[in-house]
Amino acid sequence: MIEVSHLTKRYGAHTAVDDISFTVEDGCICGLLGPNGAGKTTTMNVITGYLSPTAGTVRIGGHDIQQEPQAAKACLGYLPEQPPLYADMTVAEYLDFAAELKGLRKKADRAAAAARAAARAGLDGMARRLIRNLSKGYRQRVGLAAALLGDPRVIILDEPTVGLDPAQMIEIRALIRDLGRQHTVILSSHLLSEVQAVCDRVLIIAGGKLVAQGAPGELAARLTARGVLSATAQGPKQAVLAAAAAVPGLRDVRLTAENGEEISFTAASADGGDHRAALSAALAAAGCPVLSLASEQMSLEDVFLQLTEPDPAAAAETPDKEEKAHESDL
Amino acid sequence: MKAIFKREARSFFTGMVGYVAVALLLGFIGLWFTANCLIYGTPDFSIVLYSSTLIMLFVLPALSMRSFADERRNKTDQLLLTSPVTIPQIVLGKFFAQLAVFAVPVLAACVMPLVLTAFGSVLLPGAYATLLAYFLLGAACIAVGTFLSALTENQIIAYLAAFGLLLTAYLMEDIQSLFTTGSTLALIVFGAALAVAAALTGLGCRSLGAGCAVLGVGAAALFLLFRLRPAWLLAALNSALDALALFAPFRSFVGGMFSVSAIVYYLSVTALFLFLTGQALERRRWN
Repeated sequence: MIEVSHLTKRYGAHTAVDDISFTVEDGCICGLLGPNGAGKTTTMNVITGYLSPTAGTVRIGGHDIQQEPQAAKACLGYLPEQPPLYADMTVAEYLDFAAELKGLRKKADRAAAAARAAARAGLDGMARRLIRNLSKGYRQRVGLAAALLGDPRVIILDEPTVGLDPAQMIEIRALIRDLGRQHTVILSSHLLSEVQAVCDRVLIIAGGKLVAQGAPGELAARLTARGVLSATAQGPKQAVLAAAAAVPGLRDVRLTAENGEEISFTAASADGGDHRAALSAALAAAGCPVLSLASEQMSLEDVFLQLTEPDPAAAAETPDKEEKAHESDL
Repeated sequence: MKAIFKREARSFFTGMVGYVAVALLLGFIGLWFTANCLIYGTPDFSIVLYSSTLIMLFVLPALSMRSFADERRNKTDQLLLTSPVTIPQIVLGKFFAQLAVFAVPVLAACVMPLVLTAFGSVLLPGAYATLLAYFLLGAACIAVGTFLSALTENQIIAYLAAFGLLLTAYLMEDIQSLFTTGSTLALIVFGAALAVAAALTGLGCRSLGAGCAVLGVGAAALFLLFRLRPAWLLAALNSALDALALFAPFRSFVGGMFSVSAIVYYLSVTALFLFLTGQALERRRWN
């Protein structure tokens, strides 16, 4: 079990992770999802004790990573974004070294653990190869095997399928699902399909903040229930968007396409009600004929984009003001 | 710690660094041994070791430059720091591995005084005491290099910084003799050190007030000392510079004396820099 509470990490003035709290139960595969630079890797580095948090606590299996680092790290297997491999060692030497670091004292224990982990990560027949000479996919597997050594209760994988070919990706995903039966797994990814396929729970991180969490299906359903309208109307861009934004109960009006006078946009219903009629009437009243209007289903991808993109209202405001200033000049 | 020691020691000999370091040290010790002892006929082995301290300056930074800089560049430090080992264990494991490589030429040199006994009487306790001091001096150099390696992720910079620092320590007595030290010079040197300390305090605490306070109090104390007890200031500067002359205490062994203070000095320098290495690693987690 992993308990993260009010985790904050600052690098100087930059806040990489901002007050994140979550709990991952035993035997759960949890996906950290977010765009690049959202704070996924920093979060994982703090959970594993590689970095110290600026504020907040992390408890792994009941052990605080700052107060009892040895005990907490003993139940942890970590595969960083770039597998921490020594190029001058063979696969067998490396796994033996990693096993000894994990505290396996006896040589026979280490050999058995290394053989088991190597077989699970699909490294059969690679034991004598120099890590220097391995392909990216195999290096990833060696890192994964090292993370599995000693059967840690918690396994943390930072973008485990990056750089793998599609067949290897499927293989690794199957392995992760298999691991989820006995271990607690946290994996990060920016691939939605991967998270949807593998994880029991999703945490969406954007700009260092936790913006949503839940089961993948549940998250998508929750946001679909809000009802999203997509519409195309004819008229000046500002007039169309202003008319849509003025409809009570509609929010998040965002431009999706602009083709001459044909303006396509989406809008979310704030209260979950159906505002198609009101929107149509408002556009007609503004002198912008409606060309199409439909209520949309949201996939996890839409949820993700909606949650992680910077606020469109704030972005749309600036050009608006400029234009007004320009008008007053005339 | 044992795992890190084994991996580190093995890596010196899977690459060339270990062999080259051992060969260079042993080669030069052998050269001076042949020239001084075998050809010229000096029974004093300590002269040989004294000459070869110069080689340490070049070789030992090459052993220590990779220790932490390379781990950081290849991000393998993530494996070490997320494993259930403590930072002191990591630092000691790496330090002892380098020491083990350095021990190879020192152990080989242990045979040399015995060879000399075939030609006449040799003061064996003196020779082995000098070897011990030589080994501890090397350990101190390695600790300094390890610390500098923990500060950067570029091993060339780690090498040059360690070499520069050790060279300064090596030449410290010459540097001291370049300046006729008066209390005014001492005031200037301590003033500059104070300014640096005040700037670091200010930056560390992120407060201009703290920096100014340190500068103000320090400057007042320095000025009072300068007006009332200028001799103290001068003595303080001299002893500070003496403490930086890492290679000077070794010389007392060459005179045939066993200097306990030199042994304590080398052990303290080693312990201090290993401690600083641990602090540097710990600090990096907080950046």
